[in-house]
Amino acid sequence: MENTLRQKAKELLASGEVKVVIGWGWNRTRTRTTPVFITKSEETDRLVWNPLCVNNLSVYLTRKFKDVQALGKPAIVARGCDIKNIVVLISEGQVKRENVYIIGMVCNGVVYRQELWEGELKPEIMPTKCHNCDVRNPHLTDSVIGGKSSFVPPEAPAGMVFDKIKAIDARDASGKWSFWINEFSRCVKCYACRQVCSLCYCERCITEKNMPQWIETSAHPRGNLSWNLTRAMHLVGRCTFCGECERACPVNIPLNLVNQKMILVVKDAFDYRSGYDEKVHPPMIVFNPEDKENFIK
Amino acid sequence: MADKLLKREDLGKLIGSVVGGGGVFVAPTIDARQVVFKPVTKAEEIVTDYIVARNSYKEYVFPQTEVVADYTIGKDGVDLRSRKVEPKETVIFGARPCEASSLSALRAVFTWDFIDEFYTKREDKTTVISVGCTKADEACFCTTVALSPETKTGSDIYLLETESGDYLAEAVTDKGRAFIKKHASVFGAAGGEKAKKLFIPEKIKGIDPGKVAEKLSDKGHYEDPVWAELTRKCIGCGACTFVCPTCHCFDITDEGTAFEGERRKNWDACQFDTFTLHASGHNPRDLQYKRWRNRFNCKFSFYPNKFSSKGCVGCGRCIRVCPVRLDITEVMEELSK
Ligand code: SF4
Ligand code: SF4
Ligand code: SF4
Ligand code: SF4
Ligand code: SF4
Repeated sequence: MENTLRQKAKELLASGEVKVVIGWGWNRTRTRTTPVFITKSEETDRLVWNPLCVNNLSVYLTRKFKDVQALGKPAIVARGCDIKNIVVLISEGQVKRENVYIIGMVCNGVVYRQELWEGELKPEIMPTKCHNCDVRNPHLTDSVIGGKSSFVPPEAPAGMVFDKIKAIDARDASGKWSFWINEFSRCVKCYACRQVCSLCYCERCITEKNMPQWIETSAHPRGNLSWNLTRAMHLVGRCTFCGECERACPVNIPLNLVNQKMILVVKDAFDYRSGYDEKVHPPMIVFNPEDKENFIK
Repeated sequence: MADKLLKREDLGKLIGSVVGGGGVFVAPTIDARQVVFKPVTKAEEIVTDYIVARNSYKEYVFPQTEVVADYTIGKDGVDLRSRKVEPKETVIFGARPCEASSLSALRAVFTWDFIDEFYTKREDKTTVISVGCTKADEACFCTTVALSPETKTGSDIYLLETESGDYLAEAVTDKGRAFIKKHASVFGAAGGEKAKKLFIPEKIKGIDPGKVAEKLSDKGHYEDPVWAELTRKCIGCGACTFVCPTCHCFDITDEGTAFEGERRKNWDACQFDTFTLHASGHNPRDLQYKRWRNRFNCKFSFYPNKFSSKGCVGCGRCIRVCPVRLDITEVMEELSK
């Protein structure tokens, strides 16, 4: 697959169809992958494809990266789960479909964090998203690399994230509160969760609006709670559970629990799942007379 | 000379006497599946099998957020009342020899044109006890920046683990000597115990710190396309600066109601796009690679030139924590060419 990918990238650059290929490459010691921007057709051998390719590169398609945009039309190497984010970016008018070439990778899963890699992709080092993945055959592409995957996700979603959500749901209100206050207390306000998320594309995040200061920037319990809740609310119905925010969080806050819980709530309330159809708008930005109103009590 | 012996079984007693005396005992411990520096009260909480803690211990001398003043806005103007800092005695146990060099770097900044008592008073009350490393990971590069597990500078007391899990202790500073004297009951005389072998990481081939410094001294390097090429992938978070033992930037922010509140000093990061944003809307570091270039210059040019101190101690924290695996040593290597 790696060779086909390199060949495809070479063609695209040589023909001038795209100006840059955004993909994964090795670090110096070939122990970790890292995002690479290939602009010359003779450099496409730097591209790699393996279970260490964890970054969701769609973040580089957003307007936060003016210098990447300045390089010209991109081709992006993307797994199905990355493509979900691209779909949301298209449906929200952030990316024009014709302005990006999507090289879709048929995928068998990745490691949750690169430091867990010991040479073999075992189920226990894969994130919950991979165990339930219904986009191993990428769904919105200009070309597909790899033979068809026959993986069928389990009927009822399973895995660590779902188990933990069940356990938290079973707690009473004060139990839930203390769980989250404790988790958020570690937040250092590094904003890696926001920066790594392709759906956090605002150029001025609400935390940076300081006249007045809507969200306290201090990393004390009150400031951390308002930051994490506000960010969660801004991702409702949009987040695709790509898991980048949790992977990036340096203090191990289980953000995937928040992400998946929101997805379950939106599925239940609006029968909507983000990231599948670029022609449908997310429920929080459309009004539908059929929307449930049972939350008004 | 490591002429004292701290027995592992006496560690609890040492913690007890520091904490009992109203002090704080900070050591590597497990929190949320990571090794972190945190206050401990029992010896069992301390982890001994670790490389470096995820966080640096700077947060105990330079807190992530702290109130420096209170204010009230009245009819006749603003009443601003400075807070007094009265720090507790703090012991940092289990620091690594690389990061022990960081406090002098922080002190240089916080005493440069203005004495920041919020920092100096805390540091004055802090004793750093480091332990020589018996292992490393691939992010460690102390030896590449002229430090090593054998470096004692910066530590008040330097420890070596013995084969049996005790510690051979050497007082490095007066503060360290005073500490050992004060806790004489747990620091016995050493008698031929054998220290575990230290693990000295290899210098990274292809990095020449002299060359890097030389390149940076020529302002022309600013326009080198290498900056954008190597650091375009940076997403501009605060992870690297917040875990870095020498990063020291802070932001002053007011929090409260319309008429009264607190003035706080919070960690800030030169990697944030608002860091150099002017009120006019102009931003001299408008692209991420320029912000990253600044961080690198801060480490390898500004600090050494202005303060003759180390900007980077080679602890590797920024490499381990970076969501896009931007490795500072790869940039050093490129600039050594
Ligand atoms: S979620 Fe699916 S597409 Fe994404 S990494 Fe896992 S298996 Fe691959
Ligand atoms: S999982 Fe996190 S990073 Fe991914 S889309 Fe959702 S909020 Fe963004
Ligand atoms: S990545 Fe983690 S620590 Fe950083 S701001 Fe987000 S939740 Fe807080
Ligand atoms: S720049 Fe990185 S390696 Fe150097 S001291 Fe800071 S965290 Fe450690
Ligand atoms: S170098 Fe890495 S950790 Fe630092 S700001 Fe950039 S992405 Fe974040």
